[in-house]
Order: sequence, then C-alpha cells, then structure tokens
Amino acid sequence: MSLLHLSFYSAFALSGLGLAFHRTHLISALLCLESMILSLYIALSIQPVENQATSFTLTPVLILAFSACEAGAGPAILVTSTRTHGSDHLHNLNLLQC
Amino acid sequence: MTYFVFFLGLGFVLGGLGVASNPSPYYGIVGLVVASVTGCGWLLSLGVSFVSLVLFMVYLGGMLVVFVYSVSLAADPFPEAWGDWRVVGYGLGFVLVLVIGVIVGGFIEGWKLGLVTVDSGGMFSVRLDFSGVALFYSCGVGMFLVAGWGLLLTLFVVLEVVRGLSRGAIRAV
Repeated sequence: MSLLHLSFYSAFALSGLGLAFHRTHLISALLCLESMILSLYIALSIQPVENQATSFTLTPVLILAFSACEAGAGPAILVTSTRTHGSDHLHNLNLLQC
Repeated sequence: MTYFVFFLGLGFVLGGLGVASNPSPYYGIVGLVVASVTGCGWLLSLGVSFVSLVLFMVYLGGMLVVFVYSVSLAADPFPEAWGDWRVVGYGLGFVLVLVIGVIVGGFIEGWKLGLVTVDSGGMFSVRLDFSGVALFYSCGVGMFLVAGWGLLLTLFVVLEVVRGLSRGAIRAV
C-alpha cells in the first residue's frame, strides 16, 4: 500500500474506532462520523487522479452533497435529545423506566 | 516537496486521531479543522485545486460552522482537553492499534516500490487537469437532481425532528 493511501485508510479506521468507543457526548460521535466522511472524500478525490479517469472526479462532490444531508439530520437529533434530557450525554439515552 | 506531502498526510492522520480520542467537542472540532486543512493541502499537491476548494468552502465553511453552532449546546463547564489523562489514554490506545495494524498488515515493506516517471515519483501521482465535476451537470444530471432533492428533503426532516409538543419525533416534552 502506498504511504498516502495508508494515511487516509488509517484516518478512516481511527475515526471508526472513535465512533465505536464514544464516551460522554453524542456530538463527539457525530464528529467522528464527519471525520470518516472527510477521509472518504479525500480517497474519492485521489482515486481519479491516480487512475487518470476524469469522469470520476464528480464522486467526491456527490458524497459531499449527501454528507451535508447527514450533517443536518445529526445535529437535529442532537438538539431534540438535548431539549428532552437537558444535555447530550449518552448515558441519558435509555428507555428503561426503572 | 515530497516530504511536505508526507507531512500533510501525517497531519491528516493526526487530525483524525484528535477527533477519535474523544476530547470535549470543542477540541474535537479543532482536530477536524486540522484534518480538513491538511487534506486540502494534499489535494492541492496533486493538482486538483477545484475539489480542494470545494472541500474548503462547503465542508469547512458550511458544514463545520453548523457543527460549531451545535457544539454550543454541548456546553461543559469543565471541558476535558487533550491533556486530560482519559483523553491521552484513548489517544495512546488508538496509536497503538494503528502501529500494530501497520506492522501486522505488512504496510511498511511496500512503500519503497514503484516507478519514477515524469508524472509520478514512487507512490505519488502528480498531475491531472480535470473537468470531471462539470459532468455533474451534463451526463450526471440524474444524480444531480437526486442530490438536490435529498438536500431539500433534509430541510423538512430537520424541521419535523426538532418539532416538539406531542407532534415531534423524539422530543417528549
């Protein structure tokens, strides 16, 4: 694997691990999602450059459009959970009534 | 110049590490900004300046600003920064995972290989002038309309999710 491919591959893996090992804040998990999408964007931008395939340079712009949708829906859920529970701490998100 | 691109690649990984080690969201945003800026520099080194500028304006200037406003809801009176021992522990753990993965996956031996031509050196491809994003409006107009429709739909999704008082999706009060 080339060195710069390892760079965004490991950034993606680290962000995925950060999403899995979230601790207190919901928004930290959302930030890890954004970091995963950023590394995907870089990967999709580099691939047509290295393969000299000009048509595929529109895929990073497309993933940016859909990630904007996700980056809107995520903070909306954050806002509602904060208004319901008073904070966005993840240990508040339980439906147990006991 | 090659070593500067190495430095940008390293900065990208460190930005991702800064987000993943789960500090308070104020400092996680800093890691995301560092990763975005170094990623833009990396794309610029490849010559694709349009995609790099799109990343700057749409991602940094648009989406990240919205995230920063949302972070203001997650206000901690005593935010834990990267010097906090819990965050350092997480960061060291992730670095350990990365190092073990690189060693076990055999990524270290392969990086010296590759041809050296006028357009590339070792593992780096150098140039591509592109007009591929312009195809978004001509051949890819179907996906363009789907993406626009999805963005419009997201506005209504956000409106309905945030609505409260017994008409809302999540809010109970």
